[in-house]
Amino acid sequence: MPGRSDDHQWSQQHLSHYVEGELRPRARRRLDRHARDCVDCGLGIRAMHALVYAVHGLGGPAGARAPATIFDRVRLAGPGGSPSSQNA
Amino acid sequence: MPPLAGQRDADAAATEASLIARAQAGDVSAFERLSSAHADRLFMLLLRLLGDRTEAEDVAQEVMLRAWRGISRFRGNSSYFTWLYRIAVNEANRALEKRGRRPPGRPIGADELQLPGSAADDPSRQAETSELRRALAQALAELPPPLRTAIVLRDVEGLSTQEAAEIAGIGQAAFKSRLHQARLRVRAAIGDEALVTSGG
Repeated sequence: MPGRSDDHQWSQQHLSHYVEGELRPRARRRLDRHARDCVDCGLGIRAMHALVYAVHGLGGPAGARAPATIFDRVRLAGPGGSPSSQNA
Repeated sequence: MPPLAGQRDADAAATEASLIARAQAGDVSAFERLSSAHADRLFMLLLRLLGDRTEAEDVAQEVMLRAWRGISRFRGNSSYFTWLYRIAVNEANRALEKRGRRPPGRPIGADELQLPGSAADDPSRQAETSELRRALAQALAELPPPLRTAIVLRDVEGLSTQEAAEIAGIGQAAFKSRLHQARLRVRAAIGDEALVTSGG
C-alpha cells in the first residue's frame, strides 16, 4: 500500500509516542510501515530509544546527598512555624 | 523468619501515617524523620532542575519549611512523597523565575553526571559517553523549565506518567505533550547518530 505524502513528517513528530507505546495499533502500523523504507525514521526510532535510556541513566551529581542544613529553617521555625500551632 | 514484602510495606505505611499525624500535631522531630526518608532524592531532583548546587541547597531548605508549614493541610489524597515533590517543583520553578532576572549560575558539569553502568564501565566507550554526558547536560539545561521538569520527572526519575503529571500540577495529556516536546528538542540538540553511537 503506498504511503501518504505526510508520513515522514508525521513519523518524526511521533517517535517519542512510538517508543512510549502510546500509539494506537493503526498509527503504530503506519509508522512501522514508513520506517521500513525510511533510513531517517529507522535511525530516529533507535535514537529515541537511546535517548530515553541515556536520560534515564543520568544519575545527577555523583553521590549527591541532601545537605545537613536541609531542616535548619524548620528547626528555626519550630512548632510555632506549623499551621496547627499558629491556629491554636 | 523475616517479614514478607507486603508486611514490610504495610508497616512502612503505618509508620508514615503515624509520623504524619505527629507532625500535624506540631512534632518537629516526627516531621524530620518523615521527610528525611525522601531528602536525598528530593535534593537530587532540585539539582537536576536547577543545575546549581548552592541554589539547590537553598531551595531544599525552603521546600522543607513550606512542607512543615503546610503539613496540617496534607490530607493524604496523594502519597507524602508526591506531595513533597510537588512543593519542590513549585519552589524550583519559582527560583528559576527569579533567576531569569539575573545571570545564570554555573550549570552542573557533565563530568558530575553519571550514565548507565554498562556504558560507563566500558573503557572503549568512555570518550563517547563523556561527550554524550556533556551534550545531555547542556541540552537539558537549555530546555524551558516546564519541558525540563517533564523529562526529569518521567525519564530521569522514572516516575509514572500519572504521578509525574500530578507532581507537575497538570493533566496527563498536557504532561505527555511536554514530555514529547522535551524529547524531540533534546534529540535535535544531540543528533541521532551521536545518540545511537554513544548511548545505544
